[in-house]
Amino acid sequence: MSMSAAGYLARRAAQKERVMLLYRRALKDTLNWAVHRHIFYQDASDLREKFEAYRHVEDLDTIDRLISEGEATYEKWRHPDPYIVPWAPGGSKFTRNPPPPEGIEIVYDYGKED
Amino acid sequence: MAAALRPAILRHLRIPVQTQTLDRYRPLLLSPFDPLRFSPLRSMSSHGDEHLTKEEVVERVLDVVKSFPKVDPSKVTPEVHFQRDLGLDSLDNVEIVVALEEEFKLEIPDKEAVLIDSCDLAIEYVANHPMAA
Repeated sequence: MSMSAAGYLARRAAQKERVMLLYRRALKDTLNWAVHRHIFYQDASDLREKFEAYRHVEDLDTIDRLISEGEATYEKWRHPDPYIVPWAPGGSKFTRNPPPPEGIEIVYDYGKED
Repeated sequence: MAAALRPAILRHLRIPVQTQTLDRYRPLLLSPFDPLRFSPLRSMSSHGDEHLTKEEVVERVLDVVKSFPKVDPSKVTPEVHFQRDLGLDSLDNVEIVVALEEEFKLEIPDKEAVLIDSCDLAIEYVANHPMAA
């Protein structure tokens, strides 16, 4: 009995993590699709309602199915060109103009100086 | 004569290279529209030269949490736990972390983002992040 209870809790924890990850990705993707901030607020509110609708679902298999459906919907509607913070990999300023290390000085005419 | 001297003089000319240091506290005092706020030094670089002070990080993190609609602003302290102390649920937690990412122009990897569940963790993460701006 205690084994199955532990298994139940472990499965619930895994599902919670999956839902949080899905919500995080979906929320960020909503911002990618919304052209204006006020559109985003409405879209984000709608997204939250979609998650809230299943707040009280208890059956583990149903939850798994719902999460899989949500993930499929997210994959289907993923933005092809998402916003990436400029310095991050894939961002517009990624590896651009990195600062020289402290204490480095430029020597012009290297080898010809006296 | 002058032409002969020229290389000799040039060889001994040394222009001292000065590193300009940014006064990192100055921009805080200026209005957002003050041209001094945008230093010409490395303005095109993705690496901000002004690093956030701990106090500023604390203040801005608390601002973000306080402006979250479901939060009672009077309860927010730098040590507060989002779900235990503020009565939020896990999805609210996700929303706060996304708001913090926007506030500090960060891109937090998913695996690290799900671990941030309290103000002091968020403050620690942002204060130690080299790209937080």
